[in-house]
Amino acid sequence: MPRSSRNENLHSLATDRSALQLTHPDQKKLDQIARMWNHRGRGLITEMNLKIEKVAIDGVLVRMPFNPSFCADEVKTLLHGGVLTALLDSVFGLANFVAIDGISSMATLDLRVDYLRPAKSRADVMVRAECIRQTRHIAFNSGRIWFDEPDQAEVARGAASFALTRGEVSIFDAMTQSRSSK
Amino acid sequence: MTPDLATQQLRKVPFFQFLDFMITELAETHAAATMPFAERLIGNPIMEYYHGGIIASFMEAVAAISVSHGPDLQPPKPINLTVDYLRPAVRGALMAEATVTRKGKRMASVRTACWQDDASRPVAEGLYHFLLV
Repeated sequence: MPRSSRNENLHSLATDRSALQLTHPDQKKLDQIARMWNHRGRGLITEMNLKIEKVAIDGVLVRMPFNPSFCADEVKTLLHGGVLTALLDSVFGLANFVAIDGISSMATLDLRVDYLRPAKSRADVMVRAECIRQTRHIAFNSGRIWFDEPDQAEVARGAASFALTRGEVSIFDAMTQSRSSK
Repeated sequence: MTPDLATQQLRKVPFFQFLDFMITELAETHAAATMPFAERLIGNPIMEYYHGGIIASFMEAVAAISVSHGPDLQPPKPINLTVDYLRPAVRGALMAEATVTRKGKRMASVRTACWQDDASRPVAEGLYHFLLV
């Protein structure tokens, strides 16, 4: 099936791990951070059943399988916009978690989402999110959503800013320490 | 339409069942709702805060209902939204209200707020645009 060149790029990045490791020595740590973030084992993230496809400092790519309980219609072909908003908020969090060192916590300050077309599909949902700028206190994010189907049409676009709390112990360190002490 | 009847109608929407909220007030250009706390709505697993996306979704749902409610009305189409997160939403019920600030032939603009114990201390405020055609 024909695919857009944009998505091909993302997929080749996701699968070509050896090349990534050569250019990014921290890739193993990034993957570990992503796994940890995704395996928190509670709440909406668990319900969304996210698959992390690509993790890098300059952005993440995440897949959400179709879930009938996220639909807006009785025949279950249209995803509710709120799900896309929640997905963007979540994946922005992951992008920051991966891109920014030494944050002990973060909170969404504001979130803006444009629903570009109806989310009418039962295909997997793809989300690409990046931290476009970080300062000591604030992270700025940008993201887009499309369905994993031939036309790759963009369904939603979002922007957010997060308040960062920096600490001696990063979330990553806290989680690895608490894990190893068990 | 009564709040109870509106709540019953919402049961048809799978995602609203997932959120599991009840309409408590319904008027021409206003709606309010309550959502009990649930594990699946958590965003921060350590602090047990509501997920920001759930707060935005809940306000979007109430905003849509404030714009159009009735047995045969098509739900309005969401165009975009802006949410301002003011405080963490902790374990406990979440309340939301939506007021239509302008409703024309094609477009509606809705302001929303979400709070827990004290309506004067909102956890989030929102601005939602809907297409009516």
